[in-house]
Amino acid sequence: MLLRIQELTKDYRRGVRANHDISLTLDQGQVLGLFGHNGAGKTTLLNQVAGLVRPTSGTIHIDGADVAADPALARRSCSLQPQAQAPIDGVTPRQAIDIMARIRGAGRRRARRRTDALLEALDIGAWADTPGQKLSGGVRRLTAFGMAAAEPGRIVMLDEPTNDVDPVRRRLLWEQIIALADSGCAVLVVTHNVVEAERSMTRLAVLNHGRLVAEGTPAQLRHDYADRLRLELVAVDDETAIRLEAEAGGPGEAVRTGRRVVVPIDAAAAGEALSWAQRERVQGRVEEFSVTPVSIEEVYIGLVGPDAAGTEEGDRAARVT
Amino acid sequence: MRHALRSYGLLLRWNLLRLRSMLPLLVVLQTLLSVGVVIGFSFLMPDADRITGFYLSTGALVLGLITVGMVAAPQLVAQAKLTGIFDYQRSMPVPRLAMLAADATVWVALALPGLVAALGVAVLRFDLDLRISWLVAPAMLLIAVCSVAIGYAIAYAARPEVAGAMSQLIFFVALMFAPINFPADRLPGWLAEAHEWLPFASMAQAVRETLQIPAAGISAAPFTMLLIWCVAGLAVTYRVMTHRP
Repeated sequence: MLLRIQELTKDYRRGVRANHDISLTLDQGQVLGLFGHNGAGKTTLLNQVAGLVRPTSGTIHIDGADVAADPALARRSCSLQPQAQAPIDGVTPRQAIDIMARIRGAGRRRARRRTDALLEALDIGAWADTPGQKLSGGVRRLTAFGMAAAEPGRIVMLDEPTNDVDPVRRRLLWEQIIALADSGCAVLVVTHNVVEAERSMTRLAVLNHGRLVAEGTPAQLRHDYADRLRLELVAVDDETAIRLEAEAGGPGEAVRTGRRVVVPIDAAAAGEALSWAQRERVQGRVEEFSVTPVSIEEVYIGLVGPDAAGTEEGDRAARVT
Repeated sequence: MRHALRSYGLLLRWNLLRLRSMLPLLVVLQTLLSVGVVIGFSFLMPDADRITGFYLSTGALVLGLITVGMVAAPQLVAQAKLTGIFDYQRSMPVPRLAMLAADATVWVALALPGLVAALGVAVLRFDLDLRISWLVAPAMLLIAVCSVAIGYAIAYAARPEVAGAMSQLIFFVALMFAPINFPADRLPGWLAEAHEWLPFASMAQAVRETLQIPAAGISAAPFTMLLIWCVAGLAVTYRVMTHRP
Protein backbone atom coordinates (compact mmCIF):
# COMPACT_ATOMS: atom_id res chain seq x y z
CA MET A 1 0.00 0.00 0.00
CA LEU A 2 1.49 3.33 -1.05
CA LEU A 3 -0.22 5.55 1.51
CA ARG A 4 -1.44 4.23 4.83
CA ILE A 5 -3.00 6.58 7.36
CA GLN A 6 -3.81 5.02 10.73
CA GLU A 7 -5.86 6.48 13.54
CA LEU A 8 -4.77 9.98 12.66
CA THR A 9 -5.83 12.75 15.02
CA LYS A 10 -4.88 16.40 14.83
CA ASP A 11 -5.64 18.90 17.58
CA TYR A 12 -4.68 22.49 16.96
CA ARG A 13 -3.44 24.60 19.80
CA ARG A 14 -6.72 26.33 20.50
CA GLY A 15 -8.34 23.00 21.14
CA VAL A 16 -9.82 22.58 17.68
CA ARG A 17 -9.88 18.92 16.69
CA ALA A 18 -9.41 19.08 12.91
CA ASN A 19 -8.94 15.35 12.31
CA HIS A 20 -10.37 12.66 14.54
CA ASP A 21 -9.17 9.07 14.35
CA ILE A 22 -8.94 8.86 10.56
CA SER A 23 -7.75 5.64 8.93
CA LEU A 24 -7.40 5.56 5.18
CA THR A 25 -5.34 3.78 2.55
CA LEU A 26 -4.51 4.67 -1.01
CA ASP A 27 -2.61 2.65 -3.56
CA GLN A 28 -0.89 3.58 -6.76
CA GLY A 29 -3.22 3.90 -9.72
CA GLN A 30 -6.10 5.01 -7.52
CA VAL A 31 -7.88 8.35 -7.41
CA LEU A 32 -9.45 9.09 -4.04
CA GLY A 33 -11.97 11.89 -3.78
CA LEU A 34 -12.10 13.65 -0.42
CA PHE A 35 -15.36 15.41 0.37
CA GLY A 36 -16.65 17.41 3.28
CA HIS A 37 -17.98 20.82 4.22
CA ASN A 38 -15.64 23.75 4.81
CA GLY A 39 -13.66 23.14 7.96
CA ALA A 40 -14.28 19.37 7.85
CA GLY A 41 -10.53 18.78 8.08
CA LYS A 42 -9.66 17.98 4.47
CA THR A 43 -6.81 20.44 4.05
CA THR A 44 -5.41 19.55 7.47
CA LEU A 45 -5.31 15.91 6.37
CA LEU A 46 -3.47 16.82 3.16
CA ASN A 47 -1.00 19.03 5.00
CA GLN A 48 -0.15 16.24 7.41
CA VAL A 49 0.54 13.82 4.57
CA ALA A 50 2.68 16.49 2.87
CA GLY A 51 4.75 16.97 6.04
CA LEU A 52 3.62 20.55 6.69
CA VAL A 53 1.57 19.80 9.79
CA ARG A 54 2.53 17.41 12.58
CA PRO A 55 -0.07 14.84 13.61
CA THR A 56 -1.13 14.88 17.27
CA SER A 57 -1.42 11.10 17.25
CA GLY A 58 -1.62 8.28 14.73
CA THR A 59 0.71 7.43 11.88
CA ILE A 60 1.18 8.19 8.20
CA HIS A 61 3.26 5.77 6.15
CA ILE A 62 4.28 6.33 2.56
CA ASP A 63 5.65 3.14 1.05
CA GLY A 64 6.28 1.84 4.55
CA ALA A 65 8.24 4.89 5.76
CA ASP A 66 6.91 7.00 8.63
CA VAL A 67 6.62 10.49 7.16
CA ALA A 68 5.44 12.15 10.35
CA ALA A 69 9.01 11.65 11.57
CA ASP A 70 10.61 12.68 8.27
CA PRO A 71 8.87 15.70 6.71
CA ALA A 72 11.56 16.06 4.03
CA LEU A 73 10.69 12.58 2.77
CA ALA A 74 7.03 13.58 2.75
CA ARG A 75 7.77 16.65 0.64
CA ARG A 76 9.75 14.56 -1.83
CA SER A 77 7.07 11.88 -2.06
CA CYS A 78 4.10 14.21 -2.42
CA SER A 79 3.35 16.91 -4.88
CA LEU A 80 0.71 19.25 -3.57
CA GLN A 81 -1.49 21.72 -5.37
CA PRO A 82 -2.66 23.94 -2.50
CA GLN A 83 -6.04 25.56 -2.44
CA ALA A 84 -4.53 29.06 -2.56
CA GLN A 85 -3.63 30.34 -6.00
CA ALA A 86 -0.05 29.60 -7.02
CA PRO A 87 2.47 32.46 -6.69
CA ILE A 88 3.00 33.09 -10.39
CA ASP A 89 2.80 36.87 -10.68
CA GLY A 90 5.45 37.83 -13.20
CA VAL A 91 5.95 34.22 -14.24
CA THR A 92 4.37 32.63 -17.31
CA PRO A 93 2.62 29.24 -17.12
CA ARG A 94 5.39 27.74 -19.26
CA GLN A 95 8.13 29.03 -16.94
CA ALA A 96 6.23 28.07 -13.80
CA ILE A 97 5.51 24.49 -14.86
CA ASP A 98 8.99 24.00 -16.30
CA ILE A 99 10.90 25.30 -13.28
CA MET A 100 8.69 23.43 -10.81
CA ALA A 101 9.31 20.20 -12.75
CA ARG A 102 13.03 20.89 -12.49
CA ILE A 103 12.82 21.75 -8.78
CA ARG A 104 11.07 18.40 -8.32
CA GLY A 105 14.02 16.71 -10.00
CA ALA A 106 13.32 16.52 -13.73
CA GLY A 107 16.17 17.10 -16.19
CA ARG A 108 16.06 20.09 -18.52
CA ARG A 109 14.76 18.19 -21.54
CA ARG A 110 12.26 16.12 -19.65
CA ALA A 111 10.88 19.22 -17.92
CA ARG A 112 10.41 20.98 -21.23
CA ARG A 113 8.70 17.96 -22.76
CA ARG A 114 6.31 17.56 -19.84
CA THR A 115 5.55 21.29 -19.81
CA ASP A 116 4.67 21.32 -23.51
CA ALA A 117 2.55 18.19 -23.11
CA LEU A 118 0.58 19.59 -20.17
CA LEU A 119 0.05 23.01 -21.75
CA GLU A 120 -1.42 21.23 -24.74
CA ALA A 121 -3.43 18.64 -22.82
CA LEU A 122 -5.04 21.35 -20.64
CA ASP A 123 -5.56 23.58 -23.69
CA ILE A 124 -3.85 26.61 -22.16
CA GLY A 125 -1.20 26.96 -24.87
CA ALA A 126 -2.67 30.33 -25.87
CA TRP A 127 -1.58 31.77 -22.49
CA ALA A 128 1.64 29.79 -22.17
CA ASP A 129 3.77 32.92 -22.36
CA THR A 130 1.47 35.38 -20.60
CA PRO A 131 2.67 36.55 -17.17
CA GLY A 132 0.66 35.21 -14.24
CA GLN A 133 -0.89 38.49 -13.09
CA LYS A 134 -2.67 38.79 -16.46
CA LEU A 135 -4.19 35.30 -16.35
CA SER A 136 -7.75 34.42 -15.42
CA GLY A 137 -8.36 32.43 -12.23
CA GLY A 138 -9.05 29.29 -14.23
CA VAL A 139 -5.81 29.41 -16.20
CA ARG A 140 -3.86 30.15 -13.02
CA ARG A 141 -5.49 27.13 -11.38
CA LEU A 142 -4.62 24.91 -14.36
CA THR A 143 -1.07 26.22 -14.26
CA ALA A 144 -0.88 25.30 -10.58
CA PHE A 145 -2.08 21.82 -11.47
CA GLY A 146 0.65 21.64 -14.13
CA MET A 147 3.22 22.68 -11.51
CA ALA A 148 2.16 19.77 -9.30
CA ALA A 149 1.75 17.27 -12.12
CA ALA A 150 4.74 17.94 -14.38
CA GLU A 151 7.16 15.88 -12.31
CA PRO A 152 4.74 14.35 -9.82
CA GLY A 153 5.66 12.73 -6.55
CA ARG A 154 4.41 9.23 -5.92
CA ILE A 155 1.41 10.80 -4.25
CA VAL A 156 -0.28 13.75 -5.90
CA MET A 157 -2.62 15.82 -3.73
CA LEU A 158 -4.89 18.37 -5.33
CA ASP A 159 -6.88 20.76 -3.15
CA GLU A 160 -9.92 21.92 -5.12
CA PRO A 161 -8.16 21.83 -8.50
CA THR A 162 -11.29 22.52 -10.57
CA ASN A 163 -12.21 25.83 -8.88
CA ASP A 164 -12.61 28.65 -11.42
CA VAL A 165 -11.99 26.27 -14.33
CA ASP A 166 -14.46 26.30 -17.24
CA PRO A 167 -16.49 23.11 -17.91
CA VAL A 168 -14.58 22.14 -21.06
CA ARG A 169 -11.15 22.43 -19.49
CA ARG A 170 -12.47 20.79 -16.33
CA ARG A 171 -12.91 17.62 -18.38
CA LEU A 172 -9.39 17.95 -19.72
CA LEU A 173 -8.19 18.37 -16.15
CA TRP A 174 -9.95 15.20 -14.99
CA GLU A 175 -8.40 13.36 -17.93
CA GLN A 176 -4.97 14.45 -16.72
CA ILE A 177 -5.79 13.42 -13.16
CA ILE A 178 -6.68 9.95 -14.41
CA ALA A 179 -3.54 9.92 -16.54
CA LEU A 180 -1.48 10.60 -13.40
CA ALA A 181 -3.07 7.59 -11.72
CA ASP A 182 -2.52 5.46 -14.81
CA SER A 183 1.16 6.40 -14.77
CA GLY A 184 1.46 4.93 -11.26
CA CYS A 185 0.74 7.83 -8.92
CA ALA A 186 -1.77 7.71 -6.10
CA VAL A 187 -3.99 10.78 -6.44
CA LEU A 188 -5.93 12.44 -3.64
CA VAL A 189 -8.39 15.10 -4.77
CA VAL A 190 -10.32 17.46 -2.52
CA THR A 191 -13.39 18.71 -4.34
CA HIS A 192 -16.92 19.86 -3.78
CA ASN A 193 -18.21 18.75 -7.12
CA VAL A 194 -19.53 15.36 -6.12
CA VAL A 195 -21.23 14.53 -9.41
CA GLU A 196 -18.25 15.43 -11.55
CA ALA A 197 -15.86 13.59 -9.29
CA GLU A 198 -17.90 10.41 -9.29
CA ARG A 199 -17.05 9.83 -12.92
CA SER A 200 -13.30 9.96 -12.35
CA MET A 201 -12.76 8.64 -8.84
CA THR A 202 -11.83 5.13 -7.88
CA ARG A 203 -12.93 5.75 -4.31
CA LEU A 204 -14.65 8.44 -2.31
CA ALA A 205 -14.12 9.44 1.30
CA VAL A 206 -16.36 11.79 3.23
CA LEU A 207 -15.16 13.83 6.20
CA ASN A 208 -17.60 15.43 8.60
CA HIS A 209 -16.37 17.53 11.53
CA GLY A 210 -12.96 15.90 11.32
CA ARG A 211 -14.22 12.32 11.24
CA LEU A 212 -14.24 9.93 8.32
CA VAL A 213 -17.95 9.12 8.00
CA ALA A 214 -17.89 7.07 4.80
CA GLU A 215 -15.37 5.57 2.46
CA GLY A 216 -15.64 3.28 -0.56
CA THR A 217 -16.29 3.09 -4.27
CA PRO A 218 -19.20 5.18 -5.57
CA ALA A 219 -21.20 1.95 -5.96
CA GLN A 220 -20.50 0.95 -2.35
CA LEU A 221 -21.56 4.34 -1.06
CA ARG A 222 -24.76 4.15 -3.01
CA HIS A 223 -25.44 0.66 -1.76
CA ASP A 224 -27.28 1.73 1.38
CA TYR A 225 -29.54 3.72 -0.83
CA ALA A 226 -30.17 0.94 -3.38
CA ASP A 227 -33.86 0.70 -2.43
CA ARG A 228 -34.29 4.46 -2.42
CA LEU A 229 -35.53 6.69 -5.22
CA ARG A 230 -35.97 10.41 -5.36
CA LEU A 231 -39.16 12.18 -6.38
CA GLU A 232 -38.49 15.64 -7.70
CA LEU A 233 -41.38 18.08 -7.93
CA VAL A 234 -41.50 21.59 -9.37
CA ALA A 235 -44.33 23.50 -7.68
CA VAL A 236 -46.17 26.39 -9.28
CA ASP A 237 -44.91 28.84 -6.69
CA ASP A 238 -42.79 29.01 -3.52
CA GLU A 239 -45.75 28.85 -1.14
CA THR A 240 -47.05 25.67 -2.72
CA ALA A 241 -43.55 24.24 -2.61
CA ILE A 242 -43.39 24.89 1.14
CA ARG A 243 -46.75 23.13 1.58
CA LEU A 244 -45.65 20.16 -0.55
CA GLU A 245 -42.45 19.87 1.45
CA ALA A 246 -44.51 19.60 4.63
CA GLU A 247 -47.04 17.16 3.19
CA ALA A 248 -44.60 14.77 1.53
CA GLY A 249 -44.09 11.56 3.52
CA GLY A 250 -41.32 9.03 3.04
CA PRO A 251 -38.23 7.58 4.66
CA GLY A 252 -36.29 10.83 4.74
CA GLU A 253 -36.82 14.55 4.95
CA ALA A 254 -37.91 16.43 1.85
CA VAL A 255 -35.58 19.22 0.75
CA ARG A 256 -36.88 22.36 -0.90
CA THR A 257 -34.90 24.82 -3.03
CA GLY A 258 -37.13 27.58 -4.33
CA ARG A 259 -39.97 25.92 -6.19
CA ARG A 260 -38.15 22.61 -6.40
CA VAL A 261 -38.87 19.91 -3.82
CA VAL A 262 -36.92 16.65 -3.64
CA VAL A 263 -38.52 13.83 -1.65
CA PRO A 264 -36.68 10.59 -0.90
CA ILE A 265 -39.01 7.61 -1.38
CA ASP A 266 -38.82 3.85 -0.95
CA ALA A 267 -38.61 2.01 -4.26
CA ALA A 268 -41.54 -0.17 -3.12
CA ALA A 269 -43.72 2.90 -2.63
CA ALA A 270 -42.84 4.44 -5.99
CA GLY A 271 -46.27 3.73 -7.47
CA GLU A 272 -48.06 5.41 -4.63
CA ALA A 273 -45.76 8.42 -4.81
CA LEU A 274 -46.25 8.74 -8.54
CA SER A 275 -50.05 8.73 -8.14
CA TRP A 276 -49.81 11.42 -5.46
CA ALA A 277 -47.59 13.57 -7.67
CA GLN A 278 -49.92 13.09 -10.62
CA ARG A 279 -52.92 14.13 -8.47
CA GLU A 280 -51.08 17.27 -7.40
CA ARG A 281 -50.30 18.01 -11.02
CA VAL A 282 -53.92 17.60 -12.07
CA GLN A 283 -54.90 19.99 -9.27
CA GLY A 284 -52.48 22.50 -10.75
CA ARG A 285 -50.13 22.62 -7.76
CA VAL A 286 -47.23 20.86 -9.48
CA GLU A 287 -45.83 21.85 -12.85
CA GLU A 288 -43.72 18.78 -13.46
CA PHE A 289 -42.24 15.82 -11.57
CA SER A 290 -39.80 12.96 -12.08
CA VAL A 291 -38.55 9.87 -10.25
CA THR A 292 -34.86 8.95 -10.47
CA PRO A 293 -32.34 6.83 -8.55
CA VAL A 294 -30.58 8.53 -5.65
CA SER A 295 -27.57 10.55 -6.85
CA ILE A 296 -24.19 10.38 -5.19
CA GLU A 297 -24.73 14.01 -4.20
CA GLU A 298 -27.71 12.97 -2.11
CA VAL A 299 -25.72 10.17 -0.56
CA TYR A 300 -23.21 12.81 0.42
CA ILE A 301 -25.86 15.14 1.80
CA GLY A 302 -27.36 12.18 3.63
CA LEU A 303 -24.00 11.58 5.29
CA VAL A 304 -23.13 15.11 6.35
CA GLY A 305 -26.68 16.44 6.75
CA PRO A 306 -28.48 19.08 4.68
CA ASP A 307 -27.36 21.83 7.05
CA ALA A 308 -23.67 21.37 6.33
CA ALA A 309 -24.46 21.25 2.63
CA GLY A 310 -26.58 24.38 2.90
CA THR A 311 -23.87 26.26 4.77
CA GLU A 312 -21.48 25.06 2.15
CA GLU A 313 -23.56 26.50 -0.67
CA GLY A 314 -23.84 29.76 1.21
CA ASP A 315 -20.09 29.91 1.78
CA ARG A 316 -19.40 29.16 -1.84
CA ALA A 317 -21.77 31.85 -3.02
CA ALA A 318 -20.23 34.34 -0.62
CA ARG A 319 -16.75 33.47 -1.85
CA VAL A 320 -17.67 33.82 -5.51
CA THR A 321 -19.20 37.28 -5.09
CA MET B 1 25.13 18.83 -1.34
CA ARG B 2 24.54 18.60 -5.09
CA HIS B 3 20.83 18.56 -4.48
CA ALA B 4 21.14 21.67 -2.33
CA LEU B 5 23.21 23.54 -4.93
CA ARG B 6 20.88 22.54 -7.74
CA SER B 7 17.89 23.62 -5.67
CA TYR B 8 19.62 26.91 -4.85
CA GLY B 9 20.19 27.65 -8.55
CA LEU B 10 16.64 26.82 -9.53
CA LEU B 11 15.10 28.72 -6.62
CA LEU B 12 17.26 31.73 -7.46
CA ARG B 13 15.93 31.59 -11.02
CA TRP B 14 12.40 31.25 -9.66
CA ASN B 15 12.93 34.29 -7.40
CA LEU B 16 14.35 36.37 -10.22
CA LEU B 17 11.46 35.44 -12.49
CA ARG B 18 8.90 36.30 -9.82
CA LEU B 19 10.51 39.61 -8.86
CA ARG B 20 11.52 40.50 -12.41
CA SER B 21 8.94 43.23 -12.75
CA MET B 22 9.69 44.68 -9.31
CA LEU B 23 13.47 44.42 -9.22
CA PRO B 24 14.32 47.45 -11.38
CA LEU B 25 12.02 49.64 -9.29
CA LEU B 26 13.51 48.30 -6.04
CA VAL B 27 17.07 48.86 -7.28
CA VAL B 28 16.24 52.43 -8.30
CA LEU B 29 14.47 53.15 -5.00
CA GLN B 30 17.25 51.65 -2.96
CA THR B 31 19.92 53.55 -4.88
CA LEU B 32 18.01 56.81 -4.54
CA LEU B 33 17.61 56.19 -0.84
CA SER B 34 21.31 55.50 -0.25
CA VAL B 35 22.41 58.48 -2.31
CA GLY B 36 19.59 60.56 -0.83
CA VAL B 37 20.79 60.00 2.72
CA VAL B 38 24.24 61.33 1.79
CA ILE B 39 22.90 64.38 -0.04
CA GLY B 40 19.97 65.00 2.30
CA PHE B 41 22.13 65.07 5.40
CA SER B 42 24.52 67.45 3.74
CA PHE B 43 21.57 69.87 3.47
CA LEU B 44 20.76 69.28 7.12
CA MET B 45 24.37 69.96 8.08
CA PRO B 46 25.78 72.30 5.45
CA ASP B 47 29.03 72.88 7.33
CA ALA B 48 29.80 69.25 7.92
CA ASP B 49 33.45 68.73 8.60
CA ARG B 50 35.35 65.77 7.28
CA ILE B 51 34.58 63.55 10.25
CA THR B 52 30.86 64.31 10.10
CA GLY B 53 30.95 63.78 6.36
CA PHE B 54 32.66 60.46 6.82
CA TYR B 55 30.05 59.35 9.36
CA LEU B 56 27.22 60.41 7.06
CA SER B 57 28.71 58.64 4.04
CA THR B 58 29.44 55.35 5.77
CA GLY B 59 26.09 55.64 7.56
CA ALA B 60 24.34 55.90 4.19
CA LEU B 61 25.86 52.59 3.14
CA VAL B 62 24.75 50.86 6.33
CA LEU B 63 21.27 52.38 6.13
CA GLY B 64 21.01 51.16 2.55
CA LEU B 65 21.76 47.60 3.62
CA ILE B 66 19.41 47.85 6.60
CA THR B 67 16.63 49.13 4.35
CA VAL B 68 16.93 46.19 2.03
CA GLY B 69 17.43 43.48 4.64
CA MET B 70 15.31 44.64 7.55
CA VAL B 71 12.60 46.69 5.82
CA ALA B 72 12.01 45.59 2.22
CA ALA B 73 12.69 41.86 2.70
CA PRO B 74 10.42 41.35 5.73
CA GLN B 75 7.67 43.39 4.10
CA LEU B 76 7.73 41.11 1.07
CA VAL B 77 7.75 38.04 3.32
CA ALA B 78 4.76 39.43 5.23
CA GLN B 79 2.99 39.96 1.94
CA ALA B 80 3.87 36.40 0.88
CA LYS B 81 2.36 35.10 4.11
CA LEU B 82 -0.88 36.97 3.48
CA THR B 83 -1.22 35.77 -0.10
CA GLY B 84 -0.46 32.11 0.64
CA ILE B 85 2.83 32.09 -1.30
CA PHE B 86 4.61 31.27 1.92
CA ASP B 87 2.69 28.02 2.39
CA TYR B 88 3.20 27.17 -1.24
CA GLN B 89 6.95 27.48 -0.90
CA ARG B 90 6.94 25.41 2.24
CA SER B 91 5.60 22.46 0.29
CA MET B 92 8.48 22.49 -2.20
CA PRO B 93 10.87 19.52 -1.98
CA VAL B 94 14.01 21.59 -1.46
CA PRO B 95 16.42 22.02 1.46
CA ARG B 96 15.23 24.92 3.61
CA LEU B 97 18.70 26.45 3.67
CA ALA B 98 18.83 26.50 -0.14
CA MET B 99 15.56 28.42 -0.08
CA LEU B 100 16.91 30.91 2.45
CA ALA B 101 20.18 31.33 0.53
CA ALA B 102 18.33 31.94 -2.75
CA ASP B 103 16.24 34.65 -1.08
CA ALA B 104 19.23 36.27 0.59
CA THR B 105 21.18 36.35 -2.68
CA VAL B 106 18.47 38.41 -4.35
CA TRP B 107 18.37 40.90 -1.49
CA VAL B 108 22.12 41.30 -1.23
CA ALA B 109 22.46 41.74 -4.99
CA LEU B 110 19.67 44.28 -4.87
CA ALA B 111 21.61 46.41 -2.38
CA LEU B 112 24.88 46.50 -4.34
CA PRO B 113 24.20 49.25 -6.92
CA GLY B 114 23.02 51.58 -4.16
CA LEU B 115 26.16 50.92 -2.13
CA VAL B 116 28.48 51.78 -4.99
CA ALA B 117 26.48 54.87 -5.98
CA ALA B 118 26.29 56.19 -2.42
CA LEU B 119 30.00 55.70 -1.88
CA GLY B 120 30.79 57.50 -5.14
CA VAL B 121 28.54 60.44 -4.29
CA ALA B 122 29.96 60.63 -0.76
CA VAL B 123 33.55 60.75 -1.99
CA LEU B 124 32.65 63.65 -4.30
CA ARG B 125 30.43 65.53 -1.87
CA PHE B 126 32.59 65.32 1.23
CA ASP B 127 35.90 65.06 -0.54
CA LEU B 128 36.73 61.86 1.35
CA ASP B 129 40.18 60.44 1.38
CA LEU B 130 39.68 56.69 1.87
CA ARG B 131 42.16 54.01 2.82
CA ILE B 132 40.17 50.95 1.81
CA SER B 133 40.93 47.48 3.18
CA TRP B 134 40.20 44.33 1.22
CA LEU B 135 38.02 43.41 4.19
CA VAL B 136 35.42 45.88 2.95
CA ALA B 137 33.86 43.26 0.67
CA PRO B 138 33.39 40.58 3.34
CA ALA B 139 32.26 43.30 5.78
CA MET B 140 29.53 44.53 3.43
CA LEU B 141 28.50 40.96 2.70
CA LEU B 142 28.31 40.12 6.37
CA ILE B 143 26.25 43.24 7.11
CA ALA B 144 23.91 42.47 4.21
CA VAL B 145 23.44 38.83 5.23
CA CYS B 146 23.04 39.85 8.87
CA SER B 147 20.34 42.38 7.93
CA VAL B 148 18.48 39.84 5.84
CA ALA B 149 18.81 37.21 8.59
CA ILE B 150 17.36 39.53 11.22
CA GLY B 151 14.70 40.83 8.83
CA TYR B 152 13.65 37.30 7.92
CA ALA B 153 13.63 36.19 11.54
CA ILE B 154 11.17 38.99 12.33
CA ALA B 155 9.06 38.36 9.25
CA TYR B 156 8.91 34.61 9.81
CA ALA B 157 8.33 34.68 13.53
CA ALA B 158 5.87 37.58 13.80
CA ARG B 159 2.40 38.06 12.38
CA PRO B 160 2.44 39.98 9.05
CA GLU B 161 1.00 43.18 10.56
CA VAL B 162 3.45 43.10 13.46
CA ALA B 163 6.38 42.41 11.12
CA GLY B 164 5.40 45.42 9.01
CA ALA B 165 5.28 47.70 12.03
CA MET B 166 8.56 46.36 13.41
CA SER B 167 10.40 46.95 10.16
CA GLN B 168 9.26 50.59 10.23
CA LEU B 169 10.43 50.91 13.81
CA ILE B 170 13.83 49.42 12.98
CA PHE B 171 14.34 51.91 10.18
CA PHE B 172 13.36 54.79 12.45
CA VAL B 173 15.74 53.67 15.20
CA ALA B 174 18.57 53.02 12.73
CA LEU B 175 18.13 56.43 11.12
CA MET B 176 17.76 58.61 14.21
CA PHE B 177 18.75 56.78 17.36
CA ALA B 178 21.63 54.50 16.40
CA PRO B 179 25.30 55.44 16.26
CA ILE B 180 25.37 54.93 12.51
CA ASN B 181 25.44 58.49 11.22
CA PHE B 182 27.13 59.95 14.30
CA PRO B 183 29.44 58.77 17.08
CA ALA B 184 27.93 56.85 19.99
CA ASP B 185 29.03 59.43 22.57
CA ARG B 186 26.28 61.79 21.41
CA LEU B 187 23.64 59.38 22.64
CA PRO B 188 22.40 59.21 26.25
CA GLY B 189 24.40 56.70 28.26
CA TRP B 190 21.74 54.03 28.49
CA LEU B 191 21.08 54.11 24.75
CA ALA B 192 24.77 53.98 23.91
CA GLU B 193 25.05 50.98 26.21
CA ALA B 194 22.12 49.27 24.52
CA HIS B 195 23.84 49.76 21.21
CA GLU B 196 26.79 47.77 22.43
CA TRP B 197 24.52 44.74 22.12
CA LEU B 198 22.46 45.73 19.11
CA PRO B 199 23.86 45.15 15.61
CA PHE B 200 23.62 48.72 14.27
CA ALA B 201 26.77 50.16 15.85
CA SER B 202 28.81 47.13 14.80
CA MET B 203 27.59 47.45 11.24
CA ALA B 204 28.60 51.10 11.10
CA GLN B 205 31.96 50.48 12.74
CA ALA B 206 32.81 47.62 10.37
CA VAL B 207 32.09 49.84 7.36
CA ARG B 208 34.01 52.82 8.76
CA GLU B 209 37.08 50.81 9.65
CA THR B 210 37.29 48.91 6.38
CA LEU B 211 36.93 52.09 4.33
CA GLN B 212 39.33 54.15 6.44
CA ILE B 213 41.72 51.77 8.16
CA PRO B 214 42.43 53.16 11.66
CA ALA B 215 45.95 53.41 12.96
CA ALA B 216 45.29 50.65 15.49
CA GLY B 217 44.02 48.35 12.76
CA ILE B 218 40.57 46.97 12.03
CA SER B 219 38.96 45.61 15.18
CA ALA B 220 37.47 42.14 15.20
CA ALA B 221 34.73 42.91 17.77
CA PRO B 222 32.13 44.27 15.32
CA PHE B 223 32.64 41.28 13.04
CA THR B 224 32.11 38.91 15.95
CA MET B 225 28.98 40.76 17.04
CA LEU B 226 27.58 40.68 13.52
CA LEU B 227 28.33 36.97 13.20
CA ILE B 228 26.42 36.30 16.41
CA TRP B 229 23.40 38.30 15.21
CA CYS B 230 23.60 36.63 11.84
CA VAL B 231 23.59 33.13 13.31
CA ALA B 232 20.80 34.05 15.73
CA GLY B 233 18.68 35.47 12.92
CA LEU B 234 19.26 32.45 10.70
CA ALA B 235 18.53 30.07 13.57
CA VAL B 236 15.17 31.72 14.30
CA THR B 237 14.29 31.77 10.59
CA TYR B 238 15.29 28.16 10.12
CA ARG B 239 13.35 27.13 13.20
CA VAL B 240 10.18 28.83 11.95
CA MET B 241 10.72 27.48 8.43
CA THR B 242 10.93 23.90 9.58
CA HIS B 243 8.32 24.20 12.31
CA ARG B 244 5.21 22.10 11.81
CA PRO B 245 2.16 23.33 13.70
